[in-house]
Amino acid sequence: MAPEQMGQGMGRPGLDRRHFLAGLGGLTVAGSLGFAALGTGADALASGADTRVRYWNLFSGGDGYNMIAMLDAFRAANPDIDVKDSTLQWGSPFYTKLAMAAAGNRAPDLGVMHLGRVTGFSPGRLLDPWDVDLLAKYGVRQADFNPELWKRAVVDGTLYALPLDIHVQLCFYRKDVLKKAGLLGDDGKMVAVTSVDEWFDVLKEAKKATKKGLQTIGMWSSDQNFQWWFFVAFYTQLGGTWFDDADTEVTFDTDKATQVLEFLRRHVTDGYSDPGFAGGAGAEQFVNGGPFVWEGNWSVPVFDGAKIEYGATPLPPVFGKQATHAESHSFVLPHQADRGGAANEGAHQLAAYIVQHAQQWAAGGHIPAYTPTLTTAAYQKMNPQSEYVSAMDHQATEPKVWFAGSTGILAQRVGPIVVSATLGSAEPDAAARSMKSTLTELLAMKNPMDGKTAAQGGAVA
Amino acid sequence: MTTSAQTVIAPSRARTAAAGATVRRKQGFQHGGWFVAPFLALFALFVIWPLLRGFYLSFTDANISGDATSFVGLDNYREALDDPLVWESLGNSAYFTLLVVPCITVLAFLLAMLAHHIERGKWLWRLCFFAPFLLPSTVAANLWQWLFNPGTGMINFVFGGETPWLTDKSYAMLAVVVCTLWWTVGFSFLLYLAALQGIPAHLYEAAKLDGANAWHRMVHITLPMLRNITGLVLALQILASLQVFDQAVVMMDFLPGPEGSTRTFVQYTLEEGFTSYRVGYASAISIIFFVIIAAVALARMWLLRNREEGGR
Amino acid sequence: MSTAAQTHVKAGKAPRTLTDKAPRKPWTPSQIVLTLLATAVSAVFLAPLVWALFTSLKSETEAVEVPTHWLPKDWTTQAWQAIFETGNITNWFVNSFVVSVCVTAVVLSVSALAGYGFARTEFRGKNLLLGLVMTGLMVSPAVLGVPLFTTVQQMGMVDTYWGMILPQCAPAAMVYILYKFFQGIPRELEEAAFIDGAGRWRVFFTIVLPLSRPSLAAVGIFTFIASWNNFLWPYMVTNNPDLMTMPNGIATVMNSYGIQWAQLMAGGLMAGLPLIVVFVFFQRQIVAGVAHTGLAGQ
Repeated sequence: MAPEQMGQGMGRPGLDRRHFLAGLGGLTVAGSLGFAALGTGADALASGADTRVRYWNLFSGGDGYNMIAMLDAFRAANPDIDVKDSTLQWGSPFYTKLAMAAAGNRAPDLGVMHLGRVTGFSPGRLLDPWDVDLLAKYGVRQADFNPELWKRAVVDGTLYALPLDIHVQLCFYRKDVLKKAGLLGDDGKMVAVTSVDEWFDVLKEAKKATKKGLQTIGMWSSDQNFQWWFFVAFYTQLGGTWFDDADTEVTFDTDKATQVLEFLRRHVTDGYSDPGFAGGAGAEQFVNGGPFVWEGNWSVPVFDGAKIEYGATPLPPVFGKQATHAESHSFVLPHQADRGGAANEGAHQLAAYIVQHAQQWAAGGHIPAYTPTLTTAAYQKMNPQSEYVSAMDHQATEPKVWFAGSTGILAQRVGPIVVSATLGSAEPDAAARSMKSTLTELLAMKNPMDGKTAAQGGAVA
Repeated sequence: MTTSAQTVIAPSRARTAAAGATVRRKQGFQHGGWFVAPFLALFALFVIWPLLRGFYLSFTDANISGDATSFVGLDNYREALDDPLVWESLGNSAYFTLLVVPCITVLAFLLAMLAHHIERGKWLWRLCFFAPFLLPSTVAANLWQWLFNPGTGMINFVFGGETPWLTDKSYAMLAVVVCTLWWTVGFSFLLYLAALQGIPAHLYEAAKLDGANAWHRMVHITLPMLRNITGLVLALQILASLQVFDQAVVMMDFLPGPEGSTRTFVQYTLEEGFTSYRVGYASAISIIFFVIIAAVALARMWLLRNREEGGR
Repeated sequence: MSTAAQTHVKAGKAPRTLTDKAPRKPWTPSQIVLTLLATAVSAVFLAPLVWALFTSLKSETEAVEVPTHWLPKDWTTQAWQAIFETGNITNWFVNSFVVSVCVTAVVLSVSALAGYGFARTEFRGKNLLLGLVMTGLMVSPAVLGVPLFTTVQQMGMVDTYWGMILPQCAPAAMVYILYKFFQGIPRELEEAAFIDGAGRWRVFFTIVLPLSRPSLAAVGIFTFIASWNNFLWPYMVTNNPDLMTMPNGIATVMNSYGIQWAQLMAGGLMAGLPLIVVFVFFQRQIVAGVAHTGLAGQ
């Protein structure tokens, strides 16, 4: 499962656990066996730091390792701030935790969310706004971010999220195979592609150079999330739109959608993408010598680990315009009735620090949102990160409505329709129409968090 | 606990024997409330209360943040009846049940016959057939995800072909079924084995004396003697299969499978509750599910009672 | 007295032990056929586990090599080292152990008490309560997960041991099984003790419990297995990787950043092997336990 699908985990700090232990101390078995794990909240209270910032993050694996390294660097630089970080795992109850903690006024000082989910998460009620001046004091200004990205973090004119990165869908290619096929330029990068025909010519040549038993391109053709992300990318390349500005009308263009769906489908019908390797096996095929795979940038460490010769570009601009799907990890301030004071300032300081010191974060394949990082020599040296950094300027994102966002309702409802077209169980034009009617239904649907439809929610920046 | 026990014991000791033998005998069986209290406390908190709460929530538009909600009457139920995903996921769970239950019952019976009639190394066969049941569901699912994995999976390697087990909607549920069979057949197998060993040997001896061959002995002794246990295996399997969740989500990386083909009912309730934040609606479909499960369980009780009455 | 009673009850009510010791018999043709058949079937049952073991001894790259092959070309324990060095797997193991032991202890205590209470004592509303317990047989986290979760959430027990343990501690089925068993114990044994002046509690602890050892063992074993392997509830109620149990951690954390099959298989074996090893040693008890618990539903 990709990190995209993992959402953000939130959990309760250790205090309540201790409380329950005390209350139910009679169950000594649990006490004696589990004290080490149960009592973890105590040490944070005991530490001598002036300010304690509770921070919930959701990063495990390689990202978790990088995040902890950045936190440690922050701790070393700011010994007066005690960061109590809780790493949580994606799982179903995850937004529940954040929502209930915020509603019940037990929220941490700082949290992480996918940017696309912010609009649906009742900003203003469950999320507190960022203090832009305070951020500026710690060195983070709007000017340091891509304007489109910043706009997504603003709801009703107020900043509710501070982007840490963007993570994008990429076209990974094997340099060894492409070289054999004559598809590698002098600079060691894949030849540029600007149209659908060119793209399929490239696939045709690549196929000839591919070992038997391997598919030409892996594209997660049965996965509702990936297929949806790819659709968003190519639909945006065509200049397609979703809703009007007031979120009252569906402006989804079924002709453009049909074009995209036909394009996706053709990979399968022309035999470049084997439905038998539709899922995560696409990456395995790639490691074995398949020339292409479309994957999230989080696969960079995986392919680095496999020690193969590869490069990565944003999804090819086959419809003329550059655009690839992007989501973003961002910092949020979960609602606290009495937000303010040292802990709040510490949360601003910590978030600002991590955003500005995200060089290490880029090792996980993510593109740091803080643009000054991108022009540093250290970042330019990173490969293939520097090759796809342009994706920052060509983000294709889901519409900014409450039901959108990483693996949200929109992806859940529309993703399967894209899959059915790609795999051939629905005709592309019928699928496009069905997407449109689903979008219409969603637009009329009320956000369970506040009982308002997208139009009533007024989530336009 | 000790203290209360002692105080209870003390008075009955104090009495003189002659007068109250029967009284004491009766009293000994009275006032058992304390015995059931600890269980009832847990039961009330974690079974009855959630049940009532779910019932209540199903009439509201509660979201996951747990703050104020309003009463919406039967809206959630009305919506559920119109929701194609309710029917689709219910259909998926039913399809799974329909495939798993007969297969597991037959397979368990055959394995039990094999293990029962074999004379050497009984423990070894029992171990082999039962071992998968001791694995966590998620491990079994990961194992089979790996076995079905395209390209590197052993299933396609051993049996040839390039069947897209996990990525095609017509195979995905079958893959989940195969995993489930392997993982859980051991449990029913043990039940059958125990039942087989409980059939009195003299029945077979008598039949042999009467000249019945092995086939006749099976049809006229073994199968009728196994009728009760078959009813039990069927009931347990139907109830468990309708509640399938673990294997399906883990094999499909926590997604609903290709084109939603392995989205089970349990999975859908969790999606509605935790992904769509709609606790009220999720509660309503949970209650519907509870009614279905209860209906199956009651139907079995009714069948059992009918049979008992018929037998008398 | 208690010995006599025990044998009595064992013969009458306890499950028939599935005996291992059949007298040696000659190899008849039918036995040879059956043995061959059993060998083949066993091979099929064990093959996935063997395949997992071999995979865990490959490098990650070799594990996904096409075409695949059974034996590793380069045997390596890197996957096993990696899960111990980088993962939380030892935490998960301890958590699984703590949770299963606590659940088993609590379930045994409360369901023995309640089973006896329902079988042998009188109190107001008993039949109503018994009916309620029967309803409980149809409720599980799978059926009522969302309301159960919000309940536990309100109690502030999400991401705690208590939140994982307590909701697993009210199994109506176990109460029902022990209730049926206690009903089968001859009343005369207890009545005799009452006449001797013993109170209910003493009768319960000194007469009833010793008689019920096989049933209690069965319930305990079954509960332990179920709890060790439980996924759905711990999955719903924990997000903190440090607090996860084996089945949950393996399915969620280890799967999350692109599956590394060698490590995943090593982790799976880590989660599954303890029970299988225990099974090899306590086979008789476990088989009797599972069969008895299951059969009690009749």
